Amino acid sequence: MIKLAIYGKGGIGKSTCTANLAAAFATLGKRVIQIGCDPKADSTINLLGGTPVTPVMDYLREHDDEPESIEEISETGFGGILCIETGGPTPGLGCAGRGIITTFSLLEELHLFEKYKPDVVLYDVLGDVVCGGFAAPIREGYASQVLIVTSGEKMALYAANNIHNAVKNFEDRSYARVRGIIMNRRNVEQEEEKVCRFAQTAGLEIAADIPRSDDIIRCEDRGMTVIEGAPDCEAAKRFLALAQKLIDEEKAHE
Amino acid sequence: MKNNATIIPCYAADTAGVCSALYELGGMTVVHDASGCNSTYATHDEPRWESLQSDIFISALTEIDAIMGNDEKLISDVTAAAADLHPGFITVCGSPMPMMTGVDFDAIASEIERRTGIRTFAMHTNGTRSYLDGASEALLAVTRAFANPAPRDPKGVNILGATPLDLYTNGTAESVRGWMEKQGFSVKCCLAMSDRFEALSHLGEAAVNLVVSACGLPAAEYLREAYGIPYVCGIPVGVRFTVILAEALHKAAASGENAAPCMAHRGEGHIYCIGEPVYAGSLACELGAHLISPVTDDRRFLAPGDSAASSEEEIAEILRNAEHVYADPLYRFILPPEAMLHPLAHFAFSGRCYEHTIPNLICKEISL
Repeated sequence: MIKLAIYGKGGIGKSTCTANLAAAFATLGKRVIQIGCDPKADSTINLLGGTPVTPVMDYLREHDDEPESIEEISETGFGGILCIETGGPTPGLGCAGRGIITTFSLLEELHLFEKYKPDVVLYDVLGDVVCGGFAAPIREGYASQVLIVTSGEKMALYAANNIHNAVKNFEDRSYARVRGIIMNRRNVEQEEEKVCRFAQTAGLEIAADIPRSDDIIRCEDRGMTVIEGAPDCEAAKRFLALAQKLIDEEKAHE
Repeated sequence: MKNNATIIPCYAADTAGVCSALYELGGMTVVHDASGCNSTYATHDEPRWESLQSDIFISALTEIDAIMGNDEKLISDVTAAAADLHPGFITVCGSPMPMMTGVDFDAIASEIERRTGIRTFAMHTNGTRSYLDGASEALLAVTRAFANPAPRDPKGVNILGATPLDLYTNGTAESVRGWMEKQGFSVKCCLAMSDRFEALSHLGEAAVNLVVSACGLPAAEYLREAYGIPYVCGIPVGVRFTVILAEALHKAAASGENAAPCMAHRGEGHIYCIGEPVYAGSLACELGAHLISPVTDDRRFLAPGDSAASSEEEIAEILRNAEHVYADPLYRFILPPEAMLHPLAHFAFSGRCYEHTIPNLICKEISL
């Protein structure tokens, strides 16, 4: 099973990249689960035609008892992708990180992976590895590889470096390893050089180079990924190539 | 408000279940919690604390350590203590504060095991669940780790799930052991009262396991799966049920089939037994009563007409027409006035309040 966690600076395009990558895996015939780990709960919206799934935290807030089935807290989106959102507490209250852990425990109790038997699981994680909750997706048993999304912007690279260092801190713990970088271009000056320099210093591969694309914006306006809405565009081809590369690696690893 | 208890107390929590289950086994148990909380787990919920030493520690977690995620302090303190004490195994378990900060006990246990070379278990307790959950996890962990394949003794039996939280220290566990021997069985291991962890290596010799509390069931299921040993759920309370249980044990040992005689018989009247489902269910069989299990909703222990109601409103509603109720004395405050309470103090519920009144009902006549 391919188990990926996607991290990166807030607003850098993690959800866009995750949803497109999920859609690419599904297009290549894989059974996919995407779990949004962000209180905003908008990770999977473009796999669902713009209609959001009820986040797990919302369900728990509204019901006395925990859900008894996966169906109560998930929706099936493009390509049969099972979409789940952790959601979070009321903004400004509670603990969002704790919400992620609670959701994961619940999914375990509902035997999500045993029942659904996915080929690919993607965790779309809010921003940085700021606390135990936001490290939960890279713990043993969850994601085994991390993809860091960055552009050539200074603060995006700064966050990418923080994430890389945070993951390295867990080297003794059988946690996920950083697989590489998704360069999500913002068309800043010398973008490729800046990202390449960071990648080289960190010893990381640029796993995918996603061009700045109006197709992505147009498709998202229609509640779609480019894999669904503009499959022939360059961005879609890059996501499909990344998915294929990861599938090939998994096969070689087996 | 459904789960609020305003009249009756709540049962002991999962952390207390871990400490109780492991108390006599010869390991070192470390609860990651604030200083002072050891008295809750190892004295208020533990009747053996005065008479029997056990290495149960609190990590003395501070606010700053919790905020900073200072796992290294816990790991190095446990490693240093283990170097002095040479425990047979180590257990680290959680409490509410590490639950909120998302401490990864699996990773911490692996690190402690790597540094000490001593088998280390992570318990996923958080202080909000039933003592049965904690005790179940602890007993399953040590069973998985220390049980070994062994030649089968056709008269061999294990007792699984014995803790003072359900059986107290009034000789009930010893009486169960004595009763088994009278039935011609040889007790290989009593998990977990009066045996150390070395006795777990004999678990695989048994022909049948007797599950005396719900917390013994996960270990029993593991032994069934890994070693093919069937299990029987029940505790020999009363006289009639004792005969039923003995027959079930001999039958299971011969056939290899599991059985749950503790849910085999219920009556039609308004008689209720409230408590841990194996004990209270066995009592319900003896009396022709119904079971109310506030501590687990595991349907494997519930016969038709039984209930897993856990909130005091739900329990009070079920008891609305009750005529006789066998339960901890503290339940009297939610009984209708016409119901007769037959007090059976339960240490996991009322702790020391009525501990000296807890009866040993093994093979004793019980009547309305």
